[in-house]
Amino acid sequence: MAKLTLLPVLFWFVAALAAADDAGRVVFDYQMNCQGCHTPDGAGAGSVPALKGHVGVFLQSQAGREYLVRVPGSATSALSDERLAAVLNWIIYEFAGNSLQLPFTPYTAAEVAPLRKNPLNEVDDYRQHVLRAIAGADARE
Amino acid sequence: MNFFDRVFEQRSRQLAQRSSRRGLLKGLGAMLVGGASIPLLPVARAAGGDGASRPVEEGDPSSCDYWRYCAIDGFLCDCCGGSANTCPPGTEMSPVTWIGTCHNPADGRNYVISYNDCCGKSSCGACLCMRDEGDRPVYRPDKTNDLNWCLGTASVSYHCSTAIVVGVAFND
Repeated sequence: MAKLTLLPVLFWFVAALAAADDAGRVVFDYQMNCQGCHTPDGAGAGSVPALKGHVGVFLQSQAGREYLVRVPGSATSALSDERLAAVLNWIIYEFAGNSLQLPFTPYTAAEVAPLRKNPLNEVDDYRQHVLRAIAGADARE
Repeated sequence: MNFFDRVFEQRSRQLAQRSSRRGLLKGLGAMLVGGASIPLLPVARAAGGDGASRPVEEGDPSSCDYWRYCAIDGFLCDCCGGSANTCPPGTEMSPVTWIGTCHNPADGRNYVISYNDCCGKSSCGACLCMRDEGDRPVYRPDKTNDLNWCLGTASVSYHCSTAIVVGVAFND
């Protein structure tokens, strides 16, 4: 009986250990690949756009969702597809705040892989185009 | 006999039959010891606060050999009126930084280091260090220290560099 009651405890322990490990890795990946410019709390600085309270806006359109992967900082980072997807999801959960209006479907490695093969060249133009289209759609509603 | 007396007698007899004399002590003891051992589990430590990510400090922060300076390329703020963590008076710390990892020989762990430059005055000129470990060519702009990292500050003139521990490196 004692052995049986210990089983869920052991399971919880292993699961929690794995979760803590993943959380450590995703924070480390953000620090090493994003934080230098986007700052520790995602607020950005100078010409670096804020993730905090803003990044969720892009998820209102498919082009915007793709923008977050195709932007050079994401697409050409040294991260694997799995780890890039994990960092993007972490950024959304951590920083989007009220800018995330719809339920968020997390990025997966399979979604990220083909998109990042096609990094953006005219980043500023594309970004403006995406945000204008989203603002236009909002105004029409 | 009173109804209540009967009920209580029955209940206490049932309790006495079902529980052992030291059952309560055993349960209470297990809870106390179990509760006290939760913070010792690696889960609690991994999720835990600052204590886990604070390095054991050893060495001289005004020397290029100091462990946190493994990737530095510039003047040490520690020699310029500031410290390894703070800017000298009259300068502004850049929020945009070069980030790398350094091995701390004192505790054998790798830490994430943020080289925040201090800006707004001309070059300090003291304690020039160039260790450049992990430095990449300029075509990897986020991983090169050959840029002026005084970005996001009022002035772009570079004065000196700090080396701030921002986390523990994740080892695969």
